[in-house]
Amino acid sequence: MVQYNFKKITVVPNGKDFIDIILSRTQRQTPTVVHKGYAISRLRQFYMRKVKYTQQNFHEKLSTIIDEFPRLDDIHPFYGDLLHVLYNKDHYKLALGQINTARNLISKVAKDYVKLLKYGDSLYRCKSLKVAALGRMCTVIKRIGPTLAYLEQIRQHMARLPSIDPNTRTMLICGYPNVGKSSFMNKITRADVDVQPYAFTTKSLFVGHTDYKYLRYQVIDTPGILDRPFEDRNIIEMCSITALAHLRAAVLFFLDISGSCGYSIAQQAALFHSIKSLFMNKPLIIVCNKTDLQPLDGIFEEDRKLVMEMKAEAMKTVIGQGGEPTNEEGVLLTMSTLTEDGVIAVKNAACERLLNQRVELKMKSKKINDCLNRFHVALPKPRDQKERPACIPQAVLEAKAKQAAEKEKRKTEKELEDEYGGAGVYSASLRKNYILANDEWKEDTMPEILDGHNVYDFIDPDILLRLEELEREEGLRQAEEEGDDFEMDGQELSLEEQEALAEIRKKKSLLIQQHRMKKSTAESRPVVPRKFDTDRKFTTGRMGRQLSSLGLDPSLAINRARSKSRGRKRERSVDKREGDGGDAMDIDDNQASKKLRLRSTSRSRSQSRPPGEVIPGEGLKDSAQKIKAIKLAKKSVLKRNKNARRGEADRVIPTLKPKHLFSGKRSIGKTQRR
Amino acid sequence: MRLEKCWFCSSTVYPGHGIQFVRNDAKIFHFCRSKCHKNFKMKRNPRKVKWTKAYRRLHGKDMTQDSTFEFERKRNRPERYDRNLAENTLKAIKKIDKIRSDRASGHIKNRLKTGKVQRQKEARKQLELGIHLVKAPLALAQDSSLCLPKIKVNVSQTQTEENQPMEE
Repeated sequence: MVQYNFKKITVVPNGKDFIDIILSRTQRQTPTVVHKGYAISRLRQFYMRKVKYTQQNFHEKLSTIIDEFPRLDDIHPFYGDLLHVLYNKDHYKLALGQINTARNLISKVAKDYVKLLKYGDSLYRCKSLKVAALGRMCTVIKRIGPTLAYLEQIRQHMARLPSIDPNTRTMLICGYPNVGKSSFMNKITRADVDVQPYAFTTKSLFVGHTDYKYLRYQVIDTPGILDRPFEDRNIIEMCSITALAHLRAAVLFFLDISGSCGYSIAQQAALFHSIKSLFMNKPLIIVCNKTDLQPLDGIFEEDRKLVMEMKAEAMKTVIGQGGEPTNEEGVLLTMSTLTEDGVIAVKNAACERLLNQRVELKMKSKKINDCLNRFHVALPKPRDQKERPACIPQAVLEAKAKQAAEKEKRKTEKELEDEYGGAGVYSASLRKNYILANDEWKEDTMPEILDGHNVYDFIDPDILLRLEELEREEGLRQAEEEGDDFEMDGQELSLEEQEALAEIRKKKSLLIQQHRMKKSTAESRPVVPRKFDTDRKFTTGRMGRQLSSLGLDPSLAINRARSKSRGRKRERSVDKREGDGGDAMDIDDNQASKKLRLRSTSRSRSQSRPPGEVIPGEGLKDSAQKIKAIKLAKKSVLKRNKNARRGEADRVIPTLKPKHLFSGKRSIGKTQRR
Repeated sequence: MRLEKCWFCSSTVYPGHGIQFVRNDAKIFHFCRSKCHKNFKMKRNPRKVKWTKAYRRLHGKDMTQDSTFEFERKRNRPERYDRNLAENTLKAIKKIDKIRSDRASGHIKNRLKTGKVQRQKEARKQLELGIHLVKAPLALAQDSSLCLPKIKVNVSQTQTEENQPMEE
């Protein structure tokens, strides 16, 4: 029993690709290196191996192709016919035959050339024989190239055929195009078939599955059939005819009552009568679709008659199945796929009829005897004549009754919503049914967060008590604290002391700053000696101010400083100032002292040295030594100066024209200027 | 909606702020801002990072044990709503908060007290040792209090004569 899994057929390669694959495999899997100097038997063996290997591979691949493609006679007649309808049995068989011939030809070629190779006498001859052999095999394949392409196409199409199991419970939907077969299919199964207003939307068979009474049913949607003689039918219609002919299924013949498919009831009835031979031994149901557009009762008399005729035919099939009582309802049904009115009923009726038919058949067949002993319904043996019905306590019955009543009385939230304006307008109050101590609190909003705390963390039934305790504690603690505070204030500094401390700190920081400046600049920067006093820091006024800020009387110090620097004139003016204060004298004195004060800036004059004096220092121990050093220095320079010659301190250009500046090329730049 | 505590610095994470990290063992870490998050990713221990509450509590800088902390406890069982209870709770929260912050500042003040005492002693010593920078020993001998010397100003007699008419 072949599995109808056409998807598992291996890919048929293109002619060229086929050759490439085999030849490259030969090249990879057989030894490649051979030299003239080998023994002749070795050379022969080498090339024979190649030819044989190639032939084997071709044989293998072609055999797989031939085996995997199904033989139309061996498979179920439904599939055989379907494949014939789609691909033409003859072409198919021819193609496979050609493949077979090719295989045999290749074997023959290989055999012949191996025989020849046995007598090859040189490398060159063996090689040419091998080349010829391989060449011929490849030509054979090249010739069947179109056949391979055709088989590949068939394979691809076969893989896409719907997997229909011909032996299981099947329902077949047929009728004119556009009557609503695919819509019905979409309604009862999960299949998603294209539904469009034009005819022949469905171009091939489609399978869907549906369930009824815990059993799986296949539902097959067929393309529409037109009323034509058998020979004129095209491939698409032939598909549905094939399905009708071979599958043992319940047939649902669809009838469009309203005529919106474009065909009248008369035409549809004519089709029915022309294919009724295919409905032999199959439970037939006539389905009137599109009743939303035209109810069954409203059609014209002639049409009604036609429909009744069809019904009569359908009844015959019912009667033909073992003399069942004629069940009128199960034969002619109405429905509308648009309003989904009656769809389920149709499905159920069809499934029921099919099931019954299959069960009957099984009962009649010989196999039933094998199965029969597996069925056994156990019933307890009656002990006595007493009747023992099911016992339900009264309370349960009452509760059930009450529940039923309640369900009808209660208004659901959804009804409320609809009443008040729909989903976007009305929002249900979720707190309606809260159970609280006081019903007024139902709509209260409680804050969840307060001052950076979660309120829910603080909720406690006895929070008030605890709060009171806490406040008492706090009162005690605060009293204690105040006592502590009093002790602290003893050791503070008074205001004046604080001022003094601030001053001390300021002075200290100043000193530190100055020291740091001195330290950092001492080595690098020459310092102006104090005697020049460029900043005018060292004045008596300043000294006086500093001393008085220290709390001393500066007058003595000032006097002493001035007396040491000035002549007698200064002393006189100082006396006068300290003496009586006559008005006239004062004015003069003020002027005189002013003049003297101006002159006092040339204090340094009094401290200058005579020009010839030499002070010891600079590494020399006394003036005499220094004088001698000076003399030596002058002597060394004297002659050169007299001759107007360059001395040690004069600038010297050692070479006036250094070579590196006046010759040579530059690696970068121009040499315009030298 | 809940206010969480940042795992790293223990500050509150308000809704809409920060990041929550769920580890493979289902432990949730809340972070208030990317600073804490990045510190966590660097595997720093909050107990060693100076500015976090964990460090401060561990090293005694902030108050650790107090009865006000027991009022705030995460309760997993929801209570039935009671308006009076809710009102009382809201009022209580404010009071508890005030008490807690008072106590915390008291704790800190206490902690800083020793420093203050020490500083005062140092100041006094500095004053005693350094008084010679602002007050000459002579002046110190005359007026032995540790404050700035009074500056004497020599007033000339001419000035006094000029003033006389004024006095009359």
